[in-house]
Order: sequence, then C-alpha cells, then structure tokens
Amino acid sequence: MTRFLPAFSVLIAVIATAVPWGLPADATFILPLLVVMMVFCWRALPDTELHPAAAAVLGLLADLLSGGPLGFWALMCLIAATVGLKPGSFRERRDLWLQWLAWTALICTLGLFGWLLASLYYLRWIDWWPIVFGVAASIVFFPLVLYGLLWVETGRIGHTRHRIFRSAS
Amino acid sequence: MLSFGLYFLCAVLLVLSRIGHGALTDARDELVDLSAPLLELASVPAVEARRAIDRVRLHIRVHQNGVEEIDRLTKENDELKQWRWRTQLLERKVAHLRKLLHAAEDPALVYASGRVIADARGPFVRSALVNLGRQDGLRIGYAVINGDGLVGRTVEAGDKVARVLLLNDLNSRIPVLVGPRGARAMALGDNSAELQLGFVEEGAEIEPGDEVYTSGSDGVLPRGLGVGVVAGEPGAYTVRPFAELNSLDVVSVLFFDAPALKRTDPAVIADKGGALSAAPQPDPEEDRTAAAPAVPLPPVTVPATSTVVALSPPVASIAAPVVGQAQAER
Repeated sequence: MTRFLPAFSVLIAVIATAVPWGLPADATFILPLLVVMMVFCWRALPDTELHPAAAAVLGLLADLLSGGPLGFWALMCLIAATVGLKPGSFRERRDLWLQWLAWTALICTLGLFGWLLASLYYLRWIDWWPIVFGVAASIVFFPLVLYGLLWVETGRIGHTRHRIFRSAS
Repeated sequence: MLSFGLYFLCAVLLVLSRIGHGALTDARDELVDLSAPLLELASVPAVEARRAIDRVRLHIRVHQNGVEEIDRLTKENDELKQWRWRTQLLERKVAHLRKLLHAAEDPALVYASGRVIADARGPFVRSALVNLGRQDGLRIGYAVINGDGLVGRTVEAGDKVARVLLLNDLNSRIPVLVGPRGARAMALGDNSAELQLGFVEEGAEIEPGDEVYTSGSDGVLPRGLGVGVVAGEPGAYTVRPFAELNSLDVVSVLFFDAPALKRTDPAVIADKGGALSAAPQPDPEEDRTAAAPAVPLPPVTVPATSTVVALSPPVASIAAPVVGQAQAER
C-alpha cells in the first residue's frame, strides 16, 4: 500500500464535503464527520500511516472550504488522530464491535465539544439538532466506512474481515 | 510535543479567525481562489447527478399523474401568461407616470451569472462558493439572487471565486418590508431552513402568507428583492425563503454599488461613473452579463423605458435580470 493513500483518500473526502450535493440543512454535519471518521479509521487500521500533522492540515482544508471557523475541523481531526493512535491494543485485541464502541464514545464527546466550542465561538447557542443527527448518522455508517477503507487498502473485504477478527478468534 | 504544538496552533487559528485577522482572511481568500478550478471540476459530477435525479423525479411524476400533470402545467402556463401581460402593462404605466412626474431615472442593474461550485454549508455556516470573483467586477456586499428570489450576499471575494453568505446563515441580517403595507422588520438567519422575523415595527399587521422583500434600508442591498413569505404564528413569525437554499445551482450577482459598499469594500476596479459602475466593461469574448440570467425569464420584449426598475414587491425579483439583459443587449 502506498504511504500516501490514507492522506489522499481523506483529501478526496474533504473535497467531496465541499461539493454541492444539495443535502438538506439538517444533514450538513454528516460530511465533515465523515472526514473525521476516516482519520480515525486510518489511524486505527493496521499497517497504515496518517500523521497527526497531515490530519490537522486536511482538517484545516475542510475549514477553508467550508468558510467556517479556521482550526475547528483541524482540531476535530487532530483529536480523532490522537484517539485513533492507540492502535497497539486496538489492532491486536479489539474486534469490530469494540472499534465501533470506541468511535461512538469519541464522536459523542466530539459532538458535545464541537457544539460547545462553536457556541463559544459565535457567542450564542448553536442549533444542536444537526450535530445530533450527524453524530447518529456517523455511528450508523461507521462499519461501512471502515470496511470501505479496508477495501481501499487491500482491495478485498474477505481478507480484511479476517484481519479485523483475527485477534478475537 | 508535536501534538501539543498542533493543538496550540489550532487554538491560535480559532482565536485569529474569531477576531477576523486581516492576514488570515487574505490568506484564506488566496487559498480558496487557488482551489477554485479543482472545486469547479469536482462539482460537475454532483451537479449533473442532482439534475439527473430531478429529471427522473419529473419523469416519475409525469408518468404517475399523466393527464393531471399536463393539465396542471397548462393551467400554470396560462396563469403565467396573464402575469406577463399584467407586468408589461404595469411597466408601461409606471414608466408613463414617472415621465409625468419628471422622476429621476433609476440606474439599470447589471448582473453577472455564475454557478455554485462548492456547497460550503458546514454545521455552523451557510455559505456557497460561486465561480465569479473580482475579475468579474464583484465586490463584497453584492446581492445574490436565483430564479426564485434573494439567496444571500457576497462576503468574501477572491479573483475568481466569491463566497455567498446565505440568507439562513447565523450571521445574516436582512432589513425587510413585510406584506402589502410594507411593515419594517429584520429577517434573521439562524442556520435553520427558515429565517426568524425580528425587530418588527410596533403595530405592524402581519399575516402568514405575506410576502417579504428587501427594504434597502441597510444601504447595501437593492430595495424590493423577494426574500420569502411569512409563516408561523403571531409572536413567532418566520420567513420561508423563496429560494431553495439547499440546492443552489446557477445564481446571479447584482452589481448594486451603494455608497455603504464603496466604504466597506473600496473599488478594486476603477469606477467608470454612475452609481452602479462596478460592472466590468463588456468583453465580446467573455461577457458574463450577456449570458443567460439565473432567473428563467419568458421572452419579454422590454420597452426602451424599462431601464427604470420599478421595484414593486411582486416583480422586483425578476425585474433586475431583465434590465441587466436589456443593458447587455444594448
């Protein structure tokens, strides 16, 4: 696998978040969270490399394109990269359910933190519904993204599936 | 240590972004400008996919409803023809009255049409990037409309792209007139689909269904651009925008150079005289103002006197591009 594949795939996702898909207003939190999720997954997956600095730069690019506060998504990606960096135990001992659980805990915390940070930034309470909707959607889509990235990495799902569960078996 | 440095950098960026540091804003504009070709390319499949989905939906509707759909469209077409006739009549009447009153002629509104290349609608921001920039004569603060009504206004302008703050953004504040009596109020964005109607003047009689249009009292936006209709209940009125802000495609930027704009965004392009002079000189090779406007207009024969824009509420949102087109043709 090429060394730059994780960063490149996240870059594609960042550009995709800016494309006018015509999503409803409530769904605007989903696409940026997809970027954060990809950072988390790449950091968690075995034999892959995505430097925290690269994650922060990609987050910064998302900030630039979204027109939002500079540093917001950079911070989110950085946190995801840091949490996803615990891959020693993650890669050896945990199975998909534990990965899913870790993501759920992380994204709920990030959602709350992001909401508070954005409210502080704008000095008013931000609408919480799109964040809750985005967080819930990201939890639902997590296995899809994880398997998708595994497929991108290896080109096969069967083999990667075996690898995910190798420590559990 | 590196991680700590990165966290610190993010915090610094957030603070600088909050205080609106000039260097940061300039750098941001430059970077967005650089990414414009990539975004333009990337947006093509998404836009085409959206159009394809719309076409499929239309086919399904026609297939399911068949004769009823044709009847509905025929009826709508008849109504529109009547409206066109009434509009032409009113235009002639207004022009005649203005002539009688020796009223000063309003300058024509010039516009440029462009495409939304990036849907920069983050969870905390409602904005869009359009492929028009200072090279096309844009300034910060210009009104942006589409076929349905006001979409927002430009808040950042690079050489090739501009960022449009949508009506429903948290930071959007539009002074408006409501209903046939023109009650003054403010349309406030709050990141939701509808706008809040605040600062309504005392004793104003507002009904759900009343049309809301720009008052122009901010000295930035032209008066009479259609914003939306009143919804909700007394005490908690909202404004449902005419424009579908979630799926913007082609939009038009109105070159309305109010004095306030000239102060906040000094002329980048030398003034060529007149109040609305920021529009670029028509270039026969690449004249965007001569392109089809975002507003799908019927083939109206614009009389010579129609350079006066009678910005009465019902026709204002479609009047400007007609005049723009008329001017471009001249």
